[in-house]
Amino acid sequence: MGQILQLRNISKTFPGVKALRGISLELNEGEVHCLCGENGAGKSTLIKILSGAYQPDEGGEIVFDGRKVVLNPHLAISLGIQTIYQEHIVFDTLSIIENIFTGSEILKGMILNKREMRRQTVEVLRYLKSDLDPDRKMGELSSGEQKLVEIAKGLVFKRRVIILDEPTASFSAAEIETLLAIIQTVKQSGIGFIYISHHLDEVFKVGDRVTVLRDGQKVSEHGMEGLTKSRLIKDMIGRDPSMFYQREKVEIGEPIFEARHVRGQGARNISFVLRRGELLGISGMTGSGRSELMNVLFGSARMDFGEILIHGKAVRHRSPKAAIRNRMCFLTEDRQNTGLFLPQNIAQNVASANLVNGREFVVLPSADVRKGNEYVKRLNIRTADSRTRVVNLSGGNQQKVVLAKWFNTNGEIFIFDEPTHGIDVGSKQEIYQVMVELLRQGKAIIMVSSDLPEVISMSDRVLVMKKGEITAELSGADITEENILTHSIGDSVI
Amino acid sequence: MSHAQAADRNTAVRESIFKRHENLTPLLIFVGFILMIVLLQLKTQGLAKYPTFISPVNLLNIMQQVAVPGIVAVGMTLVMLSGGIDLSVGMLASLVSIIIAQGISTWGFGVPLSITLGILAAILLESLMGFIISRTKVEPFIITLGGMITFQGLALLLSNSREVILNGELNFLKVNLIQGSKDPVTGLNLIIPPYVIIFFFIILVAGLVLRFTKYGRRIYAVGTNPNAAYLAGINVKNMRLSVYVIMGLLVGIGALLLLSRINVGIVTLGQGLEIDTIAMVVIGGTALRGGKGSMLGTLIGIFFLGSIGNAMNMLRMPSEVQFVAKGLVVIIAVSAGDVSSKISAFLARRREQALARKAVSARPAVDGAE
Repeated sequence: MGQILQLRNISKTFPGVKALRGISLELNEGEVHCLCGENGAGKSTLIKILSGAYQPDEGGEIVFDGRKVVLNPHLAISLGIQTIYQEHIVFDTLSIIENIFTGSEILKGMILNKREMRRQTVEVLRYLKSDLDPDRKMGELSSGEQKLVEIAKGLVFKRRVIILDEPTASFSAAEIETLLAIIQTVKQSGIGFIYISHHLDEVFKVGDRVTVLRDGQKVSEHGMEGLTKSRLIKDMIGRDPSMFYQREKVEIGEPIFEARHVRGQGARNISFVLRRGELLGISGMTGSGRSELMNVLFGSARMDFGEILIHGKAVRHRSPKAAIRNRMCFLTEDRQNTGLFLPQNIAQNVASANLVNGREFVVLPSADVRKGNEYVKRLNIRTADSRTRVVNLSGGNQQKVVLAKWFNTNGEIFIFDEPTHGIDVGSKQEIYQVMVELLRQGKAIIMVSSDLPEVISMSDRVLVMKKGEITAELSGADITEENILTHSIGDSVI
Repeated sequence: MSHAQAADRNTAVRESIFKRHENLTPLLIFVGFILMIVLLQLKTQGLAKYPTFISPVNLLNIMQQVAVPGIVAVGMTLVMLSGGIDLSVGMLASLVSIIIAQGISTWGFGVPLSITLGILAAILLESLMGFIISRTKVEPFIITLGGMITFQGLALLLSNSREVILNGELNFLKVNLIQGSKDPVTGLNLIIPPYVIIFFFIILVAGLVLRFTKYGRRIYAVGTNPNAAYLAGINVKNMRLSVYVIMGLLVGIGALLLLSRINVGIVTLGQGLEIDTIAMVVIGGTALRGGKGSMLGTLIGIFFLGSIGNAMNMLRMPSEVQFVAKGLVVIIAVSAGDVSSKISAFLARRREQALARKAVSARPAVDGAE
């Protein structure tokens, strides 16, 4: 089998960050090459280089069919490199045929050659052993079927390389089996796959070769023979100690929040107790149902079953309003879309979550500005004063505004969803300090994070989630990268 | 970190003056417009028998002309700030005027009961639309468009497609509060009817509510980012509903005042009211996508649009030309605000780039860390 693609010594530097260092990688015809690594290991950056979206630093080379190429998105596609992203980029209201051919329609003179486009689509679907109706609207298909259509597109246009980024993230077990079978079929035709997944089961079923990345470096490359899951996990862990944060421990008090058998939004049978002064880390891969669970606890998504107790008393959160009145705070993952009012100023943002508390009708803007200024000072938000619009702040300072907004409600049960996502190192440390300060005041924190060093250095206890369920509870010396990874990706459910 | 810090401070402090004071753009255009009028006036001053633009009698005239659309524009500001729109106000005003007129002249309900009935009908119909808008994902544009057509039909049904004439039963709403005073310039009678006072009262109260109450804050929050508003504990659905309820009340009052001025309940009474009020609100700097704008801006917009018609009448321009002028004013006023914010964003970016360059040349890129 011939080699299609070769990466030599690829590095990528962003301002202040080295995302990739000297990666080399090959892909042969008819081969499935898997990429493994934790969140932030550099997988996504590598894909973006392959699809031409990013240019590698000087010194790196990409060789396609024996020729050196400088990729851009257009060239990547015309060479036959197709990237299928985790999020579907499809036209929901168009049919399967139209989705495949939009942008490269087959023409007969000036008009569309619909018959030919249909013929090619049907032929490929039949080859994939699929009975999908080519006229179905893309929006009606399940995510598994949508992936299949994207692979079909690769076949129609005779692509050479198909890159799959976390393809099974929202799949049912049966859909995963189908997809893996399709990949086995399609690779017979000589197409090479780069397959990225944090489900090691899939890697073992479909892969011919595995490369492990960690902190932007290639750690190892394995053939499948004799390879074990624990070996892969060992390669993925062992991150740079400078990434860990030394946290001061706080005395842990009485229970303040309890979930009993909570179910909803894909989370199943979740039970745990949270105590004063405790930081409970929740770990798990994207799609494991962590954020959904947080929405259920906060009342912003429906709880199908179960009970929530605050100070030992059963409560019902029909809306975030009820949760806020029970002194809960929710710092969401997507702060720009769900946490902040970007065009408004800091003072208005700080006041926003507290509007549901208190009985007074009149609020003075000048009082808000004064309060805003207090938080600007206290949290070291880098700006002139609280009349600055939030849209003009950096990510770290925006996150501090979100913090201020919740401090202002006088809450005591904090949910942090990815608290330091997209935040520079300096602000990260400051946010950690603020979290410890909260614990010292006897408040409690639930922290959802994909950043393993963060989970390990900050948590008193860690719950590991996988497919909506808690698979492990770790505390003390058991909180290690190896244990967390083993429980979040290692063992099979399918 | 230090250069990010510097860049933060820089963009924060030196925003364009247009961006910081969103009312400034329409105000400047308005001032320019007035200057132009004054110049024209000086040229035509020889024609002494026409009242001049800037004279007490004419200013009071403008107030009488803008009072009713102004009251509705207050409601429209609230609706648009919350991220909605209401196309039905014109036909709803017609419908309400017909209900009140019929109540007084045909059904014999008497004046107080007829007025109550008309205003309650307006509140009810707007609440229905608001209910649908707040509980479904259907665009307010579509719902209120449907409302507009329905109200037109109802108005025609109730009036048998005819006009309903009053015998001055509502004249108490247009008595002159300053009977006997004369304009020192022209010697004409000065008139301030109660509805002008009502208009100023309503816009003042609405402005204060918007700026100084929790309710006002929530409107801005819902219009700026409904997701974040929901997660901040705000009942987004009820907020959306409430602005339409208020709109109903204001349209009801507006229709009553309109009827008192014209004395005839007819389906064309409110025609074009939605266009005028939306134009006033957007000239005042309120964004169609919600969350941005103010009552002060709307006040400027109301007088701006009202003055155009008045001034052009004075210059004896035909009404056809007035439409063109009003339309152009809307386009210019709204794009001017955006252009100025684009310019200031461009300048801010340039400053930031210069700062970043300086930072990079002073210190080589840091290797490692996330």
